[in-house]
Amino acid sequence: MDFKVVTKPDTTSIELSGVLTFDDHERFKAVVEAITVAESDGVELDLTGMKMIDSAGIGMLLLANDRAGKAGKTLALRGVTGHVAKVVELSKVDQIIKVL
Amino acid sequence: MTDTRSPKDSDSADRAAIALDDARILIVDDLRSSRMLIGSVLRAAGFHTLEFAEDGIEALEKFQAFNPDIMLLDIVMPRMDGFEVCERIRKDLKSDTPILVQSGLQEGEHRVRAFEVGASDLVSKPINAGEMISRVKLHVERRRLVESLRSYRRRMEDELKSAEAMQLSLMPEAPEIDRISEGRGARVEAFYRASNQLGGDLWTIFEIDEDRFGLLMVDLSGHGVSAAINAFRLHVLIEAHRLNRADPGTWLADLSKDLYEMLPIEHFATGFYCVFDRRTSCLTYATAGAPSPVIVKADGQTELLDASGLIMGVTSAVDYPNQQVQLKPGDRLCLYSDALYEDFNIPEKSLQPEEIADHVKASCESAEPGGFPKALMYRVYGGIPQDLPDDLTILLLEVAS
Repeated sequence: MDFKVVTKPDTTSIELSGVLTFDDHERFKAVVEAITVAESDGVELDLTGMKMIDSAGIGMLLLANDRAGKAGKTLALRGVTGHVAKVVELSKVDQIIKVL
Repeated sequence: MTDTRSPKDSDSADRAAIALDDARILIVDDLRSSRMLIGSVLRAAGFHTLEFAEDGIEALEKFQAFNPDIMLLDIVMPRMDGFEVCERIRKDLKSDTPILVQSGLQEGEHRVRAFEVGASDLVSKPINAGEMISRVKLHVERRRLVESLRSYRRRMEDELKSAEAMQLSLMPEAPEIDRISEGRGARVEAFYRASNQLGGDLWTIFEIDEDRFGLLMVDLSGHGVSAAINAFRLHVLIEAHRLNRADPGTWLADLSKDLYEMLPIEHFATGFYCVFDRRTSCLTYATAGAPSPVIVKADGQTELLDASGLIMGVTSAVDYPNQQVQLKPGDRLCLYSDALYEDFNIPEKSLQPEEIADHVKASCESAEPGGFPKALMYRVYGGIPQDLPDDLTILLLEVAS
């Protein structure tokens, strides 16, 4: 997994790419950090470039959502397509995390 | 001599000495004067557990009896030379104990051959005290480090093995599976393997009454030790929640609520739970984000069940609706974990639900009774996979004819 923080006028977008799995546990901490220190209240995780996600990856999104809420921010997922869309549809995780 | 070292330096120097001064050193040299010189240099450096040999034959005997941490070996000796000693220790005794070969600087060929027969390093001859002590310390230290890593690894492997056995004991065994299912108009086959000894897949079967049994399959998020610990926690919950087992939706919601309170925020479980009733041959089930179960009917038609649903353990209250499917004698239901079809190395190679259904159908047709999981794995992986990236569970429920 790689990520890039893009600061827009009214929102912060974090673009994730590659695959998000168990092995990305350490690297994802930087994503959570970027969410909590974002200047805007709204933060988007842009998953357009994300090819695949496993259960540990879904867990990381849940963690990011929780940490965002605790930092007074609103997290949303954008660009949910392909395998990621299937996993979201199967797990109904959109009931917990906002999907745009 | 005035000690000019700071207390800190002296501390760390002492610690290093404590770690090494019990090293067992075998000194092999045919000249008594050489043995005495080497011995006194080593003693002066704090090494006191020394043993000596006068030739190659004695060296091999002492090596086995004394079990040194390191050996200082001369080359030219009566009866058996140092090259042969070195070779035998490596080849016959299969030992990797460090061997320092004493070699004159002018003996170029000796130096090359010493390494060929397995020497760890060379020390110059005549002995240079400082160099010899440095090399002895270096090799003993390195060996201690390797040994401690090895013993740590062995201990971890033993611990993992016993944890693996404990985890396997959570899953029902064949006689139990047969007693519960065959006594209630069905037959169940199962396969489970963790990706790395410990895993987060868990399945179980239990009787509800004399006509009905429940079949549960759960995949805890992640894998490895943390997933396995969560699987143990869930197993406790399963045993504790006996009420509502006949009502799949309510029962999964009960488990989910407790998991929510128990698990860290980033951990959850996917699940499929069904109750089979032999009086009606009806399967009542509830789903929490599990892979699509495949039904292969007795006439060969296949059907994919939708097992989507909010994953368990992510919210305090969730509603899992009960669904039903009518089965007939000879119909089969196959459950599997996502390791069966997901390929994270080559995402494009991941199997689609329809492809899984085809594999399940073909495996049902080709498998001998009891051989379904194996047949499916041969179709999907070309064999029984040894190194799985994730935990794999395969379950088959067949309605008795």
